[in-house]
Amino acid sequence: MTDQAPAPAPPEQAAKLNLLSRREFMTLLIGGGATLVLAATLAEPLDTFAREIFAERSRGLHEGDPNYHWAMVIDLNKCIGCNYCVWACQATNDTREDMRWNIRVEDRTALGKTFHVTRPCLHCGHAPCVEVCPVGATYKRADGLVVMDYDKCIGCRYCQTACPYGARSFNWSERDDANPQVPDWGQPEVERRPRGVVEKCTFCIHRIDAGLAKGLMPGIDEAATPACIFVCPVNARFFGNLNDPDSPVSRILRTQPTLRLREDLGTEPNVYYIPPEGLI
Amino acid sequence: MAANTTVQPALSPQTQARRISLPFIGWMLLLGIMLGIGLFSALQVLMNGLVVTNLTDELPWGLWITVDLSSIGLGAGAFTLSAAVYLFGLKRYEAIARAAVLVGLLGYSSAMLALFIDIGRFDRFYHPIIYWNVHSVLWEITMCVVLYSTVLAIELLPVIVESTPLKRVKVLVRFSGFLHRLMPVVALLGMGLSLLHQSSLGATYGILTARPFWYSPSAPVLFILSAVAAGVSLTLFVTLLSGKLMKREMIPADVLNGVARLAGLVCLAYLYLKLWSWAATNYYSRVPAQQFGAEILAQNTPYNYTFWFGEVLFGALVPALFFLWQPLRRNKNALLLAAFMVIVGLVINRWNMTLSGFVIPLDWSPGVAEIFPINHYEPAPVEWGVAIGIVAYSWMAFTLGVRFLRLYPEARDLRTGKKIYAETEHSHHE
Repeated sequence: MTDQAPAPAPPEQAAKLNLLSRREFMTLLIGGGATLVLAATLAEPLDTFAREIFAERSRGLHEGDPNYHWAMVIDLNKCIGCNYCVWACQATNDTREDMRWNIRVEDRTALGKTFHVTRPCLHCGHAPCVEVCPVGATYKRADGLVVMDYDKCIGCRYCQTACPYGARSFNWSERDDANPQVPDWGQPEVERRPRGVVEKCTFCIHRIDAGLAKGLMPGIDEAATPACIFVCPVNARFFGNLNDPDSPVSRILRTQPTLRLREDLGTEPNVYYIPPEGLI
Repeated sequence: MAANTTVQPALSPQTQARRISLPFIGWMLLLGIMLGIGLFSALQVLMNGLVVTNLTDELPWGLWITVDLSSIGLGAGAFTLSAAVYLFGLKRYEAIARAAVLVGLLGYSSAMLALFIDIGRFDRFYHPIIYWNVHSVLWEITMCVVLYSTVLAIELLPVIVESTPLKRVKVLVRFSGFLHRLMPVVALLGMGLSLLHQSSLGATYGILTARPFWYSPSAPVLFILSAVAAGVSLTLFVTLLSGKLMKREMIPADVLNGVARLAGLVCLAYLYLKLWSWAATNYYSRVPAQQFGAEILAQNTPYNYTFWFGEVLFGALVPALFFLWQPLRRNKNALLLAAFMVIVGLVINRWNMTLSGFVIPLDWSPGVAEIFPINHYEPAPVEWGVAIGIVAYSWMAFTLGVRFLRLYPEARDLRTGKKIYAETEHSHHE
């Protein structure tokens, strides 16, 4: 070994490892402290200010009453595929022809018998759309409803990507269409949604909230019940409160076998179907 | 300086910068036109809404999400090389870390541009910052992207101050010296944020039970591995290419060697997980929904081929060999080609990943009828236009950056072998 032995690290190098000088450290400390104090002082008034701004815009939003747990039952044995519920929904919620919240599809059992499935939003117990929304524009109310704050939605469409049921539609353009189901199937009861936000079935939240305030019972009194229920000519649709053992839906779930769509995904939907004969 | 001087000193950076060649003007003109196309297309979208795209309720994400995912992935060289320099003490990689930071900043800002156009309510782009859903991976990604872009800006500021007339502003020089010493902390923060969101981008698809073809625990890890490989590759690519064009050796040979090996090793790690991920779900097991999805894709799309050839063979395996086999690694053209292949491989992967989940229709009806049609998508002209504009933005910004900023402090003139910049690297510490 003719090479020089490696020299020990010179003291300069050790000094270099110091990230900050004392002065810089103090500046950082004081600066950081001042920022924290400022933030803490301003937080309260800023929060109030923000609430005041957004109070106007979030008017009419309810958090729901935990005493209720809304659910729907659809009897696929009875359904004749007449589309009345589809049209009533379209008129009441003023949706575009190609953006219906409640749709009907024709399906087939393994033995070849056709039957009709109508699909509103299933108001999942574990709703993927709620879980993925970056801004919490879609949220779950205490009464089980999955609803949207159209003033928060940024239109990223991740909820559409995450929903296993295709129950969401996006406003690709400004609305200027005439609603073909008005007035035959009802009058619009809610505002049209603006361009650039996603929208979905609400179980006619406006009827439920206003109805309860007037002492009406959703599922029993038509004015407090989703538009798709009482319009059904063959009584294939039921709505009610699962927390009440005497509600129409609780009675059916107690006495008849029902299925939920894609039970395997763990979404825990609140729409139950009475299966058609020969489905399984 | 007389032209017949026997000893040719390296030109000062200022003199070099002022030399504007014809190809340079042509290149900037081309990028300017592309930028114009982008602006025009973006205006169409902002005025008319997303109805001008070919996106639908069944297939709501397309080219722009691919641009977004690709630019963030390709920006990953910044956190990787910053971590190497400031956290793992590999000081010599500082020769390339600055360029990586610029590439990263351009990648992230490109992604934010794409998202700004892609969301339905661009006027609410700031909502994720004030309305939090901490359970959403997309919220986490948004916050990380915003914070990490800030980190990148902090990392780049000293370079800008040092390379421009701003260096005469004393306060700025002092401040950037302060930032420079803070760099280990900043790099740590950057690495944390990057590890979070680069993986979460894969989770964006990987967590969705609604679409069985996407649902995969390996997606987050595959995303970060491919991002590191491609991010380092892009940094390598622009370094070699600008060196070629400016007739400089941008970084010392040992640094080049190390970075290329890193890219190759990460390519191998990516391949390992990717092949196992494929084999576990497609070869050794048979989940009906995934099989059904794979059949649909094989019959209706080229994704089967682009997966094996674009992502696996030419996107990772061949370039890994180029990067790791010494005779090829010594050849700059081979490195350039290998880096290019990894970059293209990542873009193909992000496209395939996005589209495959959407092409396969949802299946929620209780019966056996196949009710929902297979979804098709081809980007509309405005979508291409916006994408072209974003690409032009990042290319133009990098071109200007490499020309006017001291991005490669160790750069040498190829003819004279002399350093371009005098040893003033740490002059701002005074």
